[in-house]
Amino acid sequence: MELKDISLSHDQKTMHLDHVSTTIKRGKVTTIIGPNGCGKSTLLSVMSRNNTPSTGTAQLAQKDLMNYKPKEFAKKLAIVYQQNEIPKELTVEKLVAYGRIPHNQMFKKDAKKDEAAIQWALESTKLIDKSTKSLEALSGGERQRVWIALALAQQTEILCLDEPTTYLDIYYQLELLELVKRLNEEHGLTIVMVLHDINQAIRYSDHIILMQSGKIIAEGAPEEVITEQLIKTVYGVKVLFKNDEPSAGLYIVPIGI
Amino acid sequence: MRKKMISFIAVIALLFVMIVYAATTGSVKMEFLEFCKALFDSSNEKIAVIKDLRFPRIIVALFAGAALSVSGVLLQAVMRNPLADAGVIGISAGAGLASTVIITFFPMLFFWSPLFAFLGGAFACFLVFSLSWKSGLNPLKLILVGIAINAMFTGLREIGGFMGVPTGSSVTSNITMKTWADVDLLVTYGSFGLILALLLYKWCNLLALQDKTVKSLGFELGKARIVIAAVAVLLAAVSTAVVGVIAFVGLLVPHIARKLVGTDHKVLIPFTALVGALLILVADTLGRTLVAPQEIPASTLMAIIGGPFLIFLLRKE
Repeated sequence: MELKDISLSHDQKTMHLDHVSTTIKRGKVTTIIGPNGCGKSTLLSVMSRNNTPSTGTAQLAQKDLMNYKPKEFAKKLAIVYQQNEIPKELTVEKLVAYGRIPHNQMFKKDAKKDEAAIQWALESTKLIDKSTKSLEALSGGERQRVWIALALAQQTEILCLDEPTTYLDIYYQLELLELVKRLNEEHGLTIVMVLHDINQAIRYSDHIILMQSGKIIAEGAPEEVITEQLIKTVYGVKVLFKNDEPSAGLYIVPIGI
Repeated sequence: MRKKMISFIAVIALLFVMIVYAATTGSVKMEFLEFCKALFDSSNEKIAVIKDLRFPRIIVALFAGAALSVSGVLLQAVMRNPLADAGVIGISAGAGLASTVIITFFPMLFFWSPLFAFLGGAFACFLVFSLSWKSGLNPLKLILVGIAINAMFTGLREIGGFMGVPTGSSVTSNITMKTWADVDLLVTYGSFGLILALLLYKWCNLLALQDKTVKSLGFELGKARIVIAAVAVLLAAVSTAVVGVIAFVGLLVPHIARKLVGTDHKVLIPFTALVGALLILVADTLGRTLVAPQEIPASTLMAIIGGPFLIFLLRKE
């Protein structure tokens, strides 16, 4: 996906995205990080067509995002939001089956293909034995996996995740990120996600986009982007740099402001 | 699953009993067996009276109840709001005003009055939506705007009443003196709306998810909202045109139905229709037998039963 010169303001005062250009590489894990209000979620929402930029072009496969029909686009890109209301009495299976909507026309359905896609989505997220349970009966980590399964059932090339680990404890955070990594490595999904935790971003990304006040400050491989100086200027936090190969790899420790 | 089956069977049985009871009770009385025999014997004088006066009334009550209740379910789905009801948010009032105006000034358009009621209801619905919409649906604001719209349309219609315009049944709801012409009207438009509602169950289920989720599935949310709201307005408008405004039905029946059969609209919509039909028939039959030869309008009884019942439901949650 290519973004060129994207600008967007929610309130006509501050620029939430200020002439942003970047390219999302196919088959890679790209993570957008930055302080609160830097525009990282807005950037994701432009990619997922939830916001229309006021200037610039966003293209997927050389075609403007806005020129895709809704269902056509939903076959290319799926998104998982950070917070989701839990509908009453809905079973995991039924919710995940909604992921097939983009592939179905009013009177045309391929039941076998749908079934296979739903099975695959449930298997990849390890939800097979929960499939008949209602969402209300699941833990926070399981629920987040259900929303990912819904996105997987869409069978898209690109999967976007908006702060998928917020509200989860550390075990479920890692479980989720491992799942994302597996989806990328085993199934070749292009991943674009927004994360808060810099260390997690370093560990699980091929490419990091660092943002501040609606602008991209730096982007590239984790070790190129995450430097003491950049973290200090962007977050205003002093960090120590550690590199424990091969166990922890590169990581940072905040030591003061 | 069993609970659903039992609920369906129980409501259908009750409905049947109630229809027979309603047909055989009142100033002209009949025994059940006599009634059954007379149905196939046109020489019976009593059955002629019942067929002419009571059958239309029963059919009108059944269809009005079903239409209003299903309209409530659809509105609640489309507005994501458990308090949405055509009688509460002004749709019935808008429909009533439009049909009153038409019948008063253009009486020859009687059979088309539901269409004008539909336009009035749709206008009210549009006002409620557009005035409460601010980058999304706000449940509280929606209800408040709806109450304001309701008050406005009800007031306008009352002005008509003061100016000596005969407002007929669309002001004080009434199911008395219904003729086969009313039945034709209600059954024609009502069945159309009810069938459409049944076909829309999948969309209604999808609307239970958040807008952003539904949109990301490539589902055309705006289109679905308009279609569902239009069917809801049609149902409310038709019954308002024939029996007047009956509040609470669209609010109460879906709540009861959800408790019994759950939130899946595939089951909820038909069940709501049955319960709604039963409830209005009960209210109307009680209304005409309790203090005979006087009559209590079904809407009055509905308000008396509905108020406390709603409070009971809310307390239980």
